[in-house]
Amino acid sequence: MDTAAIAISLDLINRHYQEPNRNRFESRYFWEELYPLVAAAGFAAIELPYEPVWQFGGRSGVPFNRYCVNAKYGDAAGYRRVLAESGIDRVRGVCFDPNLFMRNASLDFYFGAGGHFAGEALAHAADLGADYLAISPTPGYGRIAQYHPDLEAQRSAFTDRTVTWLTGLAERAEGLGVTLALRPDYWGLFGGERILQLADALPSSVRIDLDTAHLFVAGIDPAAFLDAHVGRIGCVHLTDTDFVDPGEVWKSPNPEFPRERATQVFRDPGTGSVDLAGITARLDALGYDGPITCSARQTRDPFRALLRIRHLLDQLPR
Amino acid sequence: MPNIRYANMCHWKAIPYRQIPNFRDFYYEDKTNTAYYSDWDSILKYQAALGFEGIEIAPWDLADILPLFGSPEAFADFARERGVEVIGMFHGAHASHAADHFDEAVRAGREAVDTIVRFGGTHMNTCPTQNYFGTGPLSREEVQHCARVMNEIGRYATDHGVKIGLHNEFFCAINLPNHRELIELTDPALVHYCIDTAQISIMGEDLLTFYSDYHDRISTFHLKDTASARQPDSVRYAQDPEITDDGTRWFWEPGLGELDLPGLYRLLKEHGFQGWMSIEYDGSPDLLGSMALTRYHLDKVLRPIYD
Repeated sequence: MDTAAIAISLDLINRHYQEPNRNRFESRYFWEELYPLVAAAGFAAIELPYEPVWQFGGRSGVPFNRYCVNAKYGDAAGYRRVLAESGIDRVRGVCFDPNLFMRNASLDFYFGAGGHFAGEALAHAADLGADYLAISPTPGYGRIAQYHPDLEAQRSAFTDRTVTWLTGLAERAEGLGVTLALRPDYWGLFGGERILQLADALPSSVRIDLDTAHLFVAGIDPAAFLDAHVGRIGCVHLTDTDFVDPGEVWKSPNPEFPRERATQVFRDPGTGSVDLAGITARLDALGYDGPITCSARQTRDPFRALLRIRHLLDQLPR
Repeated sequence: MPNIRYANMCHWKAIPYRQIPNFRDFYYEDKTNTAYYSDWDSILKYQAALGFEGIEIAPWDLADILPLFGSPEAFADFARERGVEVIGMFHGAHASHAADHFDEAVRAGREAVDTIVRFGGTHMNTCPTQNYFGTGPLSREEVQHCARVMNEIGRYATDHGVKIGLHNEFFCAINLPNHRELIELTDPALVHYCIDTAQISIMGEDLLTFYSDYHDRISTFHLKDTASARQPDSVRYAQDPEITDDGTRWFWEPGLGELDLPGLYRLLKEHGFQGWMSIEYDGSPDLLGSMALTRYHLDKVLRPIYD
């Protein structure tokens, strides 16, 4: 495995959950100190989450949407120059989830606002020169059910609107030269192998994001999934976990934090139970040459996570 | 019963658990202090232990609190069992200056009041409109329109047992040139005022003079200190000034800034203020540490003046 091209997702910075010192993550200085440290850990490529929430309320220090980047750097090109000066050559991908917009009983609001900002994320990805936009096709099941208790009765109609929305987005992505990849979030309506059904209903340009931890939590062997669907993989997320959903956690309101037994679902890559070395070996054997991104979502120490991941990648056969 | 009861304005970011039943195991997963900031059971116990009997929530908390607890009433019960009551919720009256936004601004305000009632709260501290950047300067008509919206929300709130308190940020479109004008345009019977001690000082008001002038309008406080009073227009009217690029803090725990808070407490005594006072820790890297430092300062410096 040539690890030089592997990107690191900046989702390793905890933006949303309480912890001491979290407030610094909202200031520009934090990120500009971070970039050289990312490069020092051996990463020349990054993935950026696209989070519209930082556009609201004047918190533009978090560089995770177009408004914030424009506010601080003028435009995407200005931001890329700052990254380059810090040793980060490229933005490999952008990821987006529409959870924020599932906040009331109006599906028109969800598809309207969520669709708008997904389009923004796509255009921003193109401006940044990214290869892919990894998109969560739905909010979490429990989040939808919170505002739509009749979700099961509405599931077919919700799916139809999702397909219409993503079809339009896929056509725009193709025109912009960005690969649209579906994330198999274990908490979504299309978690696990259900992601294949959704992909079948979308244009053939739409690919699947092989996110190893999400598949593992859903009880699917990521290596077997890779073997079966390698031709449909648009990007790979090397993620780790020790957790397998015992049943209905994926349907709960906050499935990333299992209610009955607290646990850190996403572990720093290399510290969980996913055979990441085996996955990377299979990727090589199958001739996969698309984007690969490491993610330490939910890490409790981003700087330790950076080095843990570098240590893991250094152990892989060259 | 003391004249002043103390609450915390909720600046905790998302708290993912109600209560962690396997605390020790959760801790051992990575041996960091994450476990100590991950459930409301602990957060509320910290508050109760430090003598803060109230919590003022923020509207952006709802997206996490409601799925976690199921309803405002369930959260309020959970907090009450740990010795903390919900005193109210902050509200941002977005675009209340815009004539074509009247119905939407009033509707949003009334919905927020309804939510507060379900939490059992009695205060809705309300930012009268959005940031100055991109909106200001407001015309006289726009300020008048903003006042009409506040009066209308205030009427509904009053009818439901909630006091709305104007709450000005230093970077709002309502700013030093029209701050008092807005207050004067609102109905004193329906619209009150929440003094954010640091925000109005940064904006350019003199804290003690302002309180003396408007003491009969004051429903509650956001108490915090600052070392940055009287910022110029170029700062207050800039794009997104609340979170600074270089990490400079606008706000400090009481006693760590430069405001004359003992002087304020002498005025509180003079005017016999009674009610809730929320402490705010926005900008603090350690909310628990801030809470403890504040409790010490209250007990040793401020409460001996007026309690």
